[in-house]
Amino acid sequence: MTFDCTVRSCTVSSLNPLRTYQTMVTMRIYEEAVGAAVETGEVHGEMHLGIGQEAVAAALAAALRPEDAIVSTHRPHLHALAHGVDPVAMLAELLERDGLSRGKGGHMHLFAPERNFMCTGIVGAGAPIAAGYALALRGTGAVAVAVAGDGAMNQGAVLETLNLAALWNLPMVFLVEDNGYGISVRREDASAGVLAERGGSFGIPGATCDGTDPQAVLDALEPAFARARGGEGPAVVVAEVYRFRGHYEGDADQYRSPEEKASWMGEDRDPVHRQRALLVAQGTDASDIEAAETAAAATVGGWLAAARALPMPDPARVREDVIA
Amino acid sequence: MSTSTKVAPFGSQIVAETLLEAMTEDERIIVLGEDVARLGGVFGATRKLHAQFGSERVLDTPISETAFIGAAIGAAQAGLRPVVELMFVDFLGVCFDQIVNQMAKHRYMSGGRVTVPLVLRTAVGCIGAAAQHSQVLSASFAHIPGLKVAFPASPGDLRGLLLTALADPDPVVFLEHKWLLKTRADSQPWHEDEPLAVEPVEFGRLRRLRDGGDITIVAAGYMVQLAYLAAQELAGEGIEAGVIDLRTLVPLDREGLVHEAASAPTLLVVDDDYADYGMSGEIIASIAEALGPEAPRMRRHAVDVPIPANKALEELVVPSPTSIAEAARAALGCG
Ligand SMILES: Cc1ncc(C[n+]2csc(CCOP(=O)(O)OP(=O)(O)O)c2C)c(N)n1
Repeated sequence: MTFDCTVRSCTVSSLNPLRTYQTMVTMRIYEEAVGAAVETGEVHGEMHLGIGQEAVAAALAAALRPEDAIVSTHRPHLHALAHGVDPVAMLAELLERDGLSRGKGGHMHLFAPERNFMCTGIVGAGAPIAAGYALALRGTGAVAVAVAGDGAMNQGAVLETLNLAALWNLPMVFLVEDNGYGISVRREDASAGVLAERGGSFGIPGATCDGTDPQAVLDALEPAFARARGGEGPAVVVAEVYRFRGHYEGDADQYRSPEEKASWMGEDRDPVHRQRALLVAQGTDASDIEAAETAAAATVGGWLAAARALPMPDPARVREDVIA
Repeated sequence: MSTSTKVAPFGSQIVAETLLEAMTEDERIIVLGEDVARLGGVFGATRKLHAQFGSERVLDTPISETAFIGAAIGAAQAGLRPVVELMFVDFLGVCFDQIVNQMAKHRYMSGGRVTVPLVLRTAVGCIGAAAQHSQVLSASFAHIPGLKVAFPASPGDLRGLLLTALADPDPVVFLEHKWLLKTRADSQPWHEDEPLAVEPVEFGRLRRLRDGGDITIVAAGYMVQLAYLAAQELAGEGIEAGVIDLRTLVPLDREGLVHEAASAPTLLVVDDDYADYGMSGEIIASIAEALGPEAPRMRRHAVDVPIPANKALEELVVPSPTSIAEAARAALGCG
């Protein structure tokens, strides 16, 4: 199964607002369902959700082609959905069932080789691996995306990979989801300079965009993808977002002030609400908006039921798969 | 420190209070790592330090383990006494060069002219976060000449061993088991008189926590607590199991181990680090070398695959009181 998140309208480079809205609502409900599964105990480990960062993933869905690769982070679900990773198998894996990785990987360690998708729980570790995908994909028109948080941009592995990607002219997009924090540490207390300019001295162009607006994200992604697909090398795109939940489910999150949270999470800036407001402003029928919301809820409800119907992993196989 | 409070402190609080006390006494101590300042550590083990000592001495770092652990080495060589936190031991891979080739070797390579008096604190063990956030990796440090490795098993030792580490002239890797950080000081299954008032605990001296004539279980860190619980379970079946806490992996109390092994008919080593090329093999080899044919029958119970995400699978892989008791029965031939 794959999630159809076709969000483009016929005009290339412009998103279909209603389809985009439905995709974003689906993503939010998906993450909320995963959050609820922490409460029920179906997930017993750490859980990092992408709620608040849906606009980036929706735009990514529009920019990606099936043959592209993505290496995501410890906050990976929405990138996986955007790239067409089987939502039921992923959900099953998150719920510690016989899912994508037979219950062995779990939420920070999702692998979908059929989509060239993977993620890692080690901050910054994904960038070099994305470079490897890019090396293998070079010349095919496909692109490898390295997703990083703002915090990850200070990891040696990422900084080394910027150089390597430029040196080898790799078809890569460094997508930085800048939510202003690495756990409790503010970006300005951890990162010198401007993130989008990090690749500058290697000759890598960078752009910063409003990560709460899917069209703005796509506008920034398109030239980066076009460049990479055309063999012109890597680019950096920084999307400014906010994470609506604590760093992980259960995080007391006292390091961010209520005022700051309110300023980002109000209806005027919540990406899902913003997209809805756009539809209303454009005169979209209320019934169409409602239908999109209903469809999104039904879709996720169906996935959840299908995932929960999958068996628990087979204990007899716990020692398999270490080496061939 | 007061022991009269009604609710016993969490292990993480004990670490923080010990650091606070030490920093008050020794101005050379600085604390650095991810989220250690404003947040007080993801496990709370550096809480209140930033409020007390400010950003000069308590530094939040970028997510740049190579840079800030390397910086701790330089600062130590220049006269400070850094306490540097590697949030989860699993992130060791990022900064292993600074640990293996720099921190551990500078004393030797300088012919003893350079010392690196720092404490590398790191959280270890499985609390349910799968393959990249559940490891112990104690043997990976212990394997490298030039590092001391302390592995407290109880709240009292969190303090006692940390005090010793802070005074040590060499780099000490201080392994804080997550369950120990997250549980209260009176929760270990044996009685410790005044866990919070303890003096520094000497490195390289194991302790016997329980006598037992049938089998001796050797462990370190939180596994000691689980071994103790297993011993209590076994006692109900008429099996008397002794429990040994190694306290430090380096220096390893080989003499003490050999002494214990000489009077034990059977010995079981429990480890939540990986089995192969690990602590269990080291202990068994040390005893076998010393005792030869007089050595007891020896077995090990340790982790043999990456930690899976699913809880039931995890329980098959990570030692528990039940699995330790089972391993003990098997070692005794009554499984
Ligand atoms: C090498 C490494 N260091 C530290 C961590 C612990 N850690 C997990 S997520 C995180 C913050 C990451 O911040 P950022 O990259 O901005 O992503 P965000 O969580 O904000 O999405 C940290 C420090 C880790 N997983 N790996």
